[in-house]
Amino acid sequence: MAATPALISLKGVTKDYPKISTGGDRLRTLAALLFRSREMPHFRALEDVDLEVVRGESVGIVGENGAGKSTLLKIVAGVVRPSRGTVDVNGRVGALLELGSGFHPEYTGRENIHLSSALMGLSRREVREKIGGIIEFADIGTHIDEPVKHYSSGMAVRLGFAVATVMSPEVLITDEVLAVGDESFQKKCVAWLERYLSGGGTLLLCSHSMFHIQTLCSQALWIHHGKVRMSGPSFDVTREYLTYHEEKTTRERVENKLALGNGPRIADAWMERDDGTRASTFPRGQALVLQGIATEPDDRPPVLLFGVVRIDGTAVYGSHSNEHGFVPKRLEAHRFAFAVRFDALALLPGKYKLRVHALDTEGLRLHDTVEREFVVTGETRDYGVVELAHEWRQP
Amino acid sequence: MAHLAVPTAGPGRWTWLLFSFTRREIVSRYAGSVSGLAWTLFHPLAQLAIFAYVFSQVFRVGVPPGYPGVTYVAFVAVALWPWIMFSEGMTRAMGSVGANAGLIKKVAFPHRLLVYASVLACCVVHAVGFVAVLVVLKLFGEPIRLSGLPVAILLMVPYMLLAAGLGALLAALQVLLRDVEHVVQVLVTILFYASPILYPASIIPAALRGWVEVNPLAWFSERMRQVLLQGAGLVPNDAVVALGCVAVFFAGLWVFNRLSPSFEDFL
Repeated sequence: MAATPALISLKGVTKDYPKISTGGDRLRTLAALLFRSREMPHFRALEDVDLEVVRGESVGIVGENGAGKSTLLKIVAGVVRPSRGTVDVNGRVGALLELGSGFHPEYTGRENIHLSSALMGLSRREVREKIGGIIEFADIGTHIDEPVKHYSSGMAVRLGFAVATVMSPEVLITDEVLAVGDESFQKKCVAWLERYLSGGGTLLLCSHSMFHIQTLCSQALWIHHGKVRMSGPSFDVTREYLTYHEEKTTRERVENKLALGNGPRIADAWMERDDGTRASTFPRGQALVLQGIATEPDDRPPVLLFGVVRIDGTAVYGSHSNEHGFVPKRLEAHRFAFAVRFDALALLPGKYKLRVHALDTEGLRLHDTVEREFVVTGETRDYGVVELAHEWRQP
Repeated sequence: MAHLAVPTAGPGRWTWLLFSFTRREIVSRYAGSVSGLAWTLFHPLAQLAIFAYVFSQVFRVGVPPGYPGVTYVAFVAVALWPWIMFSEGMTRAMGSVGANAGLIKKVAFPHRLLVYASVLACCVVHAVGFVAVLVVLKLFGEPIRLSGLPVAILLMVPYMLLAAGLGALLAALQVLLRDVEHVVQVLVTILFYASPILYPASIIPAALRGWVEVNPLAWFSERMRQVLLQGAGLVPNDAVVALGCVAVFFAGLWVFNRLSPSFEDFL
C-alpha cells in the first residue's frame, strides 16, 4: 500500500457544525468566522476520521442515518471544509451527492446538461463533444428538450447520472444514488460503475444496500456517531454492521417465561469446532458441535430440544431429541451429557443464537432454556439465512 | 471538480461556469413568462413614466439651467438606469447565495461566481435597455450625447464593482444573519431618494450638501448626466472614486471568501 500514493488522504478530520439557536449565537459565530479567534457553539458531526484510498480502490461507507456519512463524503468532495484535520485529494473528483441537484426546473434537460457539466468543471468544448453521449446514456427520449420541472424524479436522476458518466473522474463520490431510478436504470448504473472500476476508477460509495457495497467495494468504513467504528474488507465490515442492526432490533426482547419447577436443567452448553476446541465463531460450511450437560432431579434422562435463531429472532431450525430416539448419556447420578453435530454448516455468514431447552422425560413440559451466541464467518453474495443445495442448469 | 484542498484549478477553468451562471440568471428571470426579456425593459420604463409624471407634473421639479433643451424625462432616465443596475445588481448578488443553497450544499465550486453572475446579468439586461432608451430619446430630439457612451461605460465599471463588492459582503452576512435582507431593502429606498436621481443635486439645501458629496451614488448620478447630457469627459476625481470602489470590492470579497467555506453549515 505504501508503494501507491494515496489518492484520497484524510487525517484526523473533525467537523463541527455551528449551533445557532439564538441571535447572539449567530453574531458570535460570525465574529469567530471572520476573525478566527473565538470558539463557537457547535455540535460534532465527525470526529477524528482517518481515511486513505489508493488509486483503483473502492471504499464503501456504511452507518446509520445521521452517523456522518454524508458529511464525510462532502468533505472529500470539497463541499464542506473540515473544522480540524487535513484533507488531501490528488485527482479529479466527481461528486454525485444528489443526482440532478444542480438542475434548474425551468430549463430543458439539454440546457441543464450544459450547466451541470460546467459545474463539474468541463469546458465549453468538452461539453459540446460529450453531450451526445450524455443524452444517449440518460435515454429519456424527447423529454430532453422539455423543462426539467416536468420530469419525474427518476428521469432527473437518469440525467444526473448520465452527466457524471462522461466526466471520467479519477475519484467518483456517490451518496445513495443507486437507490433511485427504476430497476433497469439501476442495473445500467451498476454496470457502468463496474466498468469504471475495472478501468482503474476509484469509488467512494455511501449506501444502505450492503449488496451494493459488497459488489462494488473492496474496502468499507463504518461510521458510527461520527467516528470510525470499523474499517477493513467490505465483507467483514458489512457483516459486523448487519450484526449490529440485528442485535439492536432484538435487544428489547424478553426471555420466554419458563415454567420453572423441580424439572430438568441445562447445567452447561457450549460449541466446539471439528477439532474439539471450544469456539463461538465458525467458518461457513465447517462443522459445529453443540455439547451440553443436563441435570435431572429424578435421575431420568430429559428430552432435549435445540433451536437455531438468527440474532434478530428469525427462527431457522429446531428439532427434538426424542424425534430421533436420542437418549442423553448418563454421566453420573442426575447428570446427562448430550451432543449435536452439524456437519457442514449451511448457515450464511452472520450472527446466530443456539438455544437448548430441557423438557421432562415425557417431552411435555419445558423446564429450562439456555442460549449461546455464535458467528458464522465467510463471504457470500447470497441472500437469506441458509444455503439451500442447488444447481444452475441449462433448461 | 475542483477541490478546496487542491488549488490546481486556474481561474480560466471557471470562466465557462461564470458564463453559464450569467446566462441562466438572465434567462431564468423571465423564463415561463410570455414576453420574456421584454419585461426587463418595460419595468424601468414604467418607473420612468411614473416618476416623470409625479415629479415634473405634480411636484414641478425642474431641470437645472446647465442642461439646455433637456426634458425632465431624459434628465431622470440618464441617472435612473445606472441606479437600477447598481441597486438591482447589489440586491440580487445579496440573494444569490441563498437562492443557490441547493447547489452550494452539493457541489464544490467558487461561490463568488454567483455574486459576479448576478451583477453581470443585471449589467447585460439593463445596459441593453439603457442604450435603447437613450437612442429613443435621441430620436425624440433630446440632446443626448451618444458620443459620451464610451466614457459612461467606463464610469459604470467602478460603479458595478461597488455593487459587486457590497453584494458580496451582504450575501455573506445574509447567510448568517437573515435580517440583513430587510435592512437593505429599507436602506436601498432611502438611498434612492437621498441621491440626486429624480432631482438635480443643485436643489439640495446647503446644510445637507456634505452628505451628498460623500455619497458615491450621487457622484455617479451627476457624472452620468454630465457625460451623456453635457458631453463632459473624465475628471481626476473619477480615479479617486474608482479607487474607492475597487477597495470596497476587495473588502467585500475578503469577507465573502472568509465566510464562504462555512456557507454550507448555515444554509
